[in-house]
Amino acid sequence: MKTRNLSILLALLFVITAVGFAVGARAEGEVPAPLAIGSTIEDFTLPDYDNHERSLKSLAGKNGTVILFIAVQCPVSNAYNERMEKLAQDYKEKGINVVGINSNVKEDAAAVKAHAAEHKLSFTILKDSANKIADKFGASVTPEAYFLDANNKLLYHGRIDNARDAAQVETPDLRNALDATLAGKPVEKTEAKAFGCSIKRA
Amino acid sequence: MRFSKVVIPVALCILLLSLAAPAQKRKGRAAKPRKPTVVAPIDTDALKGLITQQREGPLLVNFWATYCDPCRDEFPDLVKIDKEYRPRSLEFVTVSLDDMSDIKTAVPKFLDEMKAKMPAYLLNVSDPEPAINLVDRGWQGSLPATFLYNEKGEIVYRHIGRVNAAELREAIDKVVVKKGT
Repeated sequence: MKTRNLSILLALLFVITAVGFAVGARAEGEVPAPLAIGSTIEDFTLPDYDNHERSLKSLAGKNGTVILFIAVQCPVSNAYNERMEKLAQDYKEKGINVVGINSNVKEDAAAVKAHAAEHKLSFTILKDSANKIADKFGASVTPEAYFLDANNKLLYHGRIDNARDAAQVETPDLRNALDATLAGKPVEKTEAKAFGCSIKRA
Repeated sequence: MRFSKVVIPVALCILLLSLAAPAQKRKGRAAKPRKPTVVAPIDTDALKGLITQQREGPLLVNFWATYCDPCRDEFPDLVKIDKEYRPRSLEFVTVSLDDMSDIKTAVPKFLDEMKAKMPAYLLNVSDPEPAINLVDRGWQGSLPATFLYNEKGEIVYRHIGRVNAAELREAIDKVVVKKGT
């Protein structure tokens, strides 16, 4: 009987360990490759911080959509709060909508809502609890931007601008991409590496 | 019954206190004032120089930041690796991607807590992209990121995300052992 109990215990331990390894197998750096420039993203839905399901289609601007992967606690993402809000305000009237997505597993909808209120972020912020959408985009850090045209084709991917410190901004890459598109011109720099905190995946 | 209820916890408390007190004394005596870590600013050109300069052994570079949890988590492993391989001609430097305003505060404070002895830098650039591309075009800039260069400045091992200490040791062993044989 004792031996049987012991073997059951050992088997259980083995299963727990195996599951642990399987779950932990996804290392921090293992992020799906970023969506290629020119590819089209299919419509998706995610809940906002009030738990209302929202589709990309319903949030998209008539001239395009900026998807911003953002965070509650990341100091780099937080350094961009004012710039992100200004971006949303500036381009709303030009037909480009800004949508934030929080894919950090440790930041729940309530934290996202409180953070948005504290920093006066008026644009819609979706909660991507299972990182499904972060995986779809291949987003790895916060803040990280994706600009989709009116047909959800990816025109720009990467950083918002060159500097965490707003006073040192020299190349507003994301704004340059939006302005070029609104002017009917091709985006010159379609990719610029985003820098910030890794998205904490499940 | 009542006796054991009172005496046993009291005896346990006395025992624990008697064990804790000398430990505290020992700690107090052993604590030597340690020089606080100095973190040097580094720009893209200086980083390039650091990677490409002539060296006797391999170079390990870890990019990190105090705001990055996996960076903080892996640091004790990195400190051990530095201690273990420095005598075997491994050069190891850390490059923080924190804000310049943290160069005298949060960054050295964390390095001191970790008892880190490797030379410490903070990337002081207005645009990090050229530095990221210089290190590795395939690196998206996410942290932590660890790169091992051979004497020629070629990447022989890279890991984005929290390092696996055993895997990193294996990679280092290949370059330091090869040199000794």
